Amino acid sequence: MAILEMKNIVKNFGGLSAVNGVSLSVEKGETVAIIGPSGSGKSTLLRCINCLERIDGGEITLRGERFAWEENGRTVYLPEKELKRISAETGMVFQHFNLFPHMTCLENITYAPVKVKGVPKAQAEKTGMELLEKVGLADKRDQYPGRLSGGQKQRVAIARGLAMNPEIMLFDEPTSALDPEITGEVLQVMKELSQADTTMVVVTHEMGFAKEVSDKVVFMNSGKIEEQGDPLEIFNAPKSTRLKEFLSSVVSA
Amino acid sequence: MAEYIGMIIPALMQGAVVSVELFCVTLIFSLPLGLVVCLGENSRIRIISLIFKAYVFVFRGTPLMLQLFFFYFFFPINMGIRMTAFATASLTFVLNYAAYFAEIYRGGINSIDRGQYEAAKSLGLSRSQTLFGIILPQTFRVVLPPVSNEVIVLIKDTALASSIALVDIMRVSQKIVNRDGSLVAYVIAAALYLVFTFFMTVILTRLEKRFSRYDEQSA
Repeated sequence: MAILEMKNIVKNFGGLSAVNGVSLSVEKGETVAIIGPSGSGKSTLLRCINCLERIDGGEITLRGERFAWEENGRTVYLPEKELKRISAETGMVFQHFNLFPHMTCLENITYAPVKVKGVPKAQAEKTGMELLEKVGLADKRDQYPGRLSGGQKQRVAIARGLAMNPEIMLFDEPTSALDPEITGEVLQVMKELSQADTTMVVVTHEMGFAKEVSDKVVFMNSGKIEEQGDPLEIFNAPKSTRLKEFLSSVVSA
Repeated sequence: MAEYIGMIIPALMQGAVVSVELFCVTLIFSLPLGLVVCLGENSRIRIISLIFKAYVFVFRGTPLMLQLFFFYFFFPINMGIRMTAFATASLTFVLNYAAYFAEIYRGGINSIDRGQYEAAKSLGLSRSQTLFGIILPQTFRVVLPPVSNEVIVLIKDTALASSIALVDIMRVSQKIVNRDGSLVAYVIAAALYLVFTFFMTVILTRLEKRFSRYDEQSA
């Protein structure tokens, strides 16, 4: 059964159409990479999944629970409280990390589980340390994010997202703000997550990652899904001209 | 000369204590009140936000001296309430400074990156958890320098309370100068203001250092 089901999603900013009739489903344990040129609506689509953006049309179902749908031509959402509970089922990793600068790495990770889920502090810290170990930063537990490199920050941000034990992890261009030589350490962590069957949706410009790690690649162009399928198919035998153009421009760049 | 100074010092010190008391009372009440006003201004309920905005507009837009005189006469004459000069001065200073602090806080809150709200939301934090756990602690760091500045201004503003007959160091020194025809009292008062300003500057600088511990390290 699909963990995430998006049907006919429409999202406009003012008069501008960002996402226009996109349907996407993600199976449990699957890693889906969304690729495409800037402004194609990839990030917007991702942000609709955890309600950072409200859709203007279509419906979204997460783990069998429909939380946004259309009724008499209008989009309705579940009540705020329900939405909060549902969006806590998703973990988000941002391009610019968005770590809380006034908290140590460990506090960044434990704050939400303690406050939102009521996990006892000692237990949250234990889980937090396990997660820090998983991303290879156990020695940074008491450091403030300001003292870390970009790659380390992003790994802490991944651990923070995982700490809520989400059904699905969302990555919004997680390596785009990093120096090329340190994207590798973040991608490595994501690869390990993927191999451990974490359900992931990754908006990325890292074609190598999309090709090697993902189970499915979605190519978006001007707010629509132009082509989707197996990574080998997408990269080795692209059908649409737009995808061919995109791939050749990315490779040559 | 030393004898003269020794003679006027006790009275000046008494005045200084009153000034410091007014200073402390103003800060203790106006710093938190400023936060309430700031949150009121940011309220999603329009009427509440309007009331607090009007309050800030009035208290920042009129002279502190005028506000002092207004309350000095307003309570006994219009309300029939007797108030000491100290109570009147405290009330006026608290209301006035809260308006300034509210604006400083508002600027601080607005300067926090939108990504912080998004991260908080994506973790399922409620509005109040986001405000008190994520946004305000960072705001505190940002507003410390402008708040420090206001604190230093306040030290000198307390002298205005002498105009409603509060026997602070300003009024005491003024009386002595008028009586003795010597400027020594003013010089001593100035020295005391400077000592106090210096003392506060040291404390505030320490606070700023302490709260910058999580700042970005320049690589």
